[in-house]
Amino acid sequence: MSFQQNQGPDFDQEIRKFFESFRRNFKGIGIAILAVFLIVMARATIYTVEPDEEAIVIRLGKYQETTSPGLHFKIPFIEIVEKIKTTIVHQAEFGFRTKRTTYRRTQYSDDTFDNESLMVTGDLNVADVQWVVQYKISDPFKYKFQTRDPERNIRDISESIMRRVVGDRLVTDVLTIGRVEIASKAKVHMQEVLDRYDMGISIQTVKLQDVNPPESVKASFNEVNEAKQEQEKVINQAERRYNEVIPEARGKADKLIQTAEGYGMALINRSKGDAAKFLSVLKEYKRAPLITRKRLYLETMEEIFARMENITIVDSEVKGLMPVFGNMKGATSEK
Amino acid sequence: MKNKLLFIIIFVFILIVGAKNSFFVVTEGRQAIITEFGKPVGDPITEAGLHYKKPFVQEARFVDKRILTWDGYPNQIPTKDKKYIKVDTTARWKIVDALRFIQTVKNESGAQGRLDTIIDGATRDVISNHNLVEAVRNTNAILKIVAEKNSQLKLKKQRGEDFLEEETAQDISTISVGREMLSTLIRDSAQKEADKMGIKIIDVQLRRISYERSVEAKVYERMISERKKIAQKIRSYGQGEKAKIEGRLDKDLKDIESTAYRKAQEIRGRAEAKATNIYAKSLNQGPKFYEFERTLQAYRNSLSKKMNFILSSDSDYLKFLKTFK
Repeated sequence: MSFQQNQGPDFDQEIRKFFESFRRNFKGIGIAILAVFLIVMARATIYTVEPDEEAIVIRLGKYQETTSPGLHFKIPFIEIVEKIKTTIVHQAEFGFRTKRTTYRRTQYSDDTFDNESLMVTGDLNVADVQWVVQYKISDPFKYKFQTRDPERNIRDISESIMRRVVGDRLVTDVLTIGRVEIASKAKVHMQEVLDRYDMGISIQTVKLQDVNPPESVKASFNEVNEAKQEQEKVINQAERRYNEVIPEARGKADKLIQTAEGYGMALINRSKGDAAKFLSVLKEYKRAPLITRKRLYLETMEEIFARMENITIVDSEVKGLMPVFGNMKGATSEK
Repeated sequence: MKNKLLFIIIFVFILIVGAKNSFFVVTEGRQAIITEFGKPVGDPITEAGLHYKKPFVQEARFVDKRILTWDGYPNQIPTKDKKYIKVDTTARWKIVDALRFIQTVKNESGAQGRLDTIIDGATRDVISNHNLVEAVRNTNAILKIVAEKNSQLKLKKQRGEDFLEEETAQDISTISVGREMLSTLIRDSAQKEADKMGIKIIDVQLRRISYERSVEAKVYERMISERKKIAQKIRSYGQGEKAKIEGRLDKDLKDIESTAYRKAQEIRGRAEAKATNIYAKSLNQGPKFYEFERTLQAYRNSLSKKMNFILSSDSDYLKFLKTFK
């Protein structure tokens, strides 16, 4: 108080002035303060839950309720609200990572994740399996408070289960026909384990992506495929050759038989014709055999001798001609 | 009046401090234990919400109630059949006895350290007491698959169908424990130790089992040679099929050609026989005339103009050359 008195009336006046101006401006400042207070209170009381979320309300540490999308009230400072995306499908990738999906084409990280993807198959071979797990948060409260690190649990279990499922199969099946079955089995088993933790996760799909033999073995797997191609090629070639040759041979065989049949028919027809001709002539011959014989003989002889260029006629009385025969040509020319 | 104000301020201050010291919030997923001068009092508080304790003399300590994750460092362990593998395990655990937990390991990082020793040890024991296949496979389902494949292959062979042979080269042994059971064994064995720390190990997962580097190289080598063997088999099967087809081609060709020849000859034979029969029947009616006529025809056909002909004048043809009688 002594301090105040020391300052004298000047100070008193100052204070009075201040309060007066304060009173004058009180209305404006008061409204401003009230507005700020109301905004702060509103922000602490009202909250919205987006369509893809659900919110859990915690009152003094204790879970109260889960609220659905829309506008909600809470007790300020006493209740805490946590929003969790429940409709969104989350994806965990194994053996590869998506780098970004904003470009036209999705880009993948070039790093290899062999640790994750290499697994031992039932026949003690190794396969490189890449897969994705898609899951949704089915119960936000359990998701938040049942386990501390849900994502990590999902990853751990997924790896463990995938190896277990692949471990019961042959490497060739894993690489070829087993894909769908492996994925569906893995999904079922994963869900079983996660349900045991009761952590509010529901697995939507498990999908196998690239499934390959390990890098250094790939070439030999390709060789098997090539061998298959080669095998087919060789067999096809042989079959083609067969199909070329055999039909042709059948055609030729058919021709041979047809020709023989033609020959036979011709032969029989000719014999029939010859026989008919002979019988007709014979009939007439029998009526006048002698004269017919004579006629036929003479006609034939005439024809033969008419075309002969070299005929020697020897009188039956002339003897000793025979030695000349040795030099026939000379003998005739001398004449 | 001023003293009164001061008193109120002090009273409120004490009230706040007292409240702050006697009420505490246990959030979801946590549990608390109350200690009085360091000595635990009562049961652990596991229910979330607002709780009371004596101010100043008692203290609340919090530990997690949720399922926690333990991640082990990959270990190289030889299996019973002397195969070196890298085993990577993870486990889920929770604090079931907060009091004992605080007393024995104090906090989570203490627990992690102890769990490392316990679970790694248990893993080592269990894995090295079993063959590799027990850790790789879970069931004997694969035997059924192999048996089915082989029987199908046999059936195809019997039917003589075309098949692309791709069998499993090595024999696959039966397992008696299996992967899932091994992790249960590890869990059970680790649990015995964990009990002392108020920890419940929910499960131990064999996350990854992989071959150790040098073993891996050998496995790859084996895989390569196996594939090569199969490739070779496929190729030679192709060559075999080719030879078979070629053989069939040869056989069929000869069959076709010789059958055709036989049939043609039969046809010709039959025709000639018939023709002979026809000739004989008709010619037999006038054998003399036939002989005569056919001989003349033969003369006509066989005697050419280039021949030298010596004709005796007393032949029938020339008989009128010497006389008109």
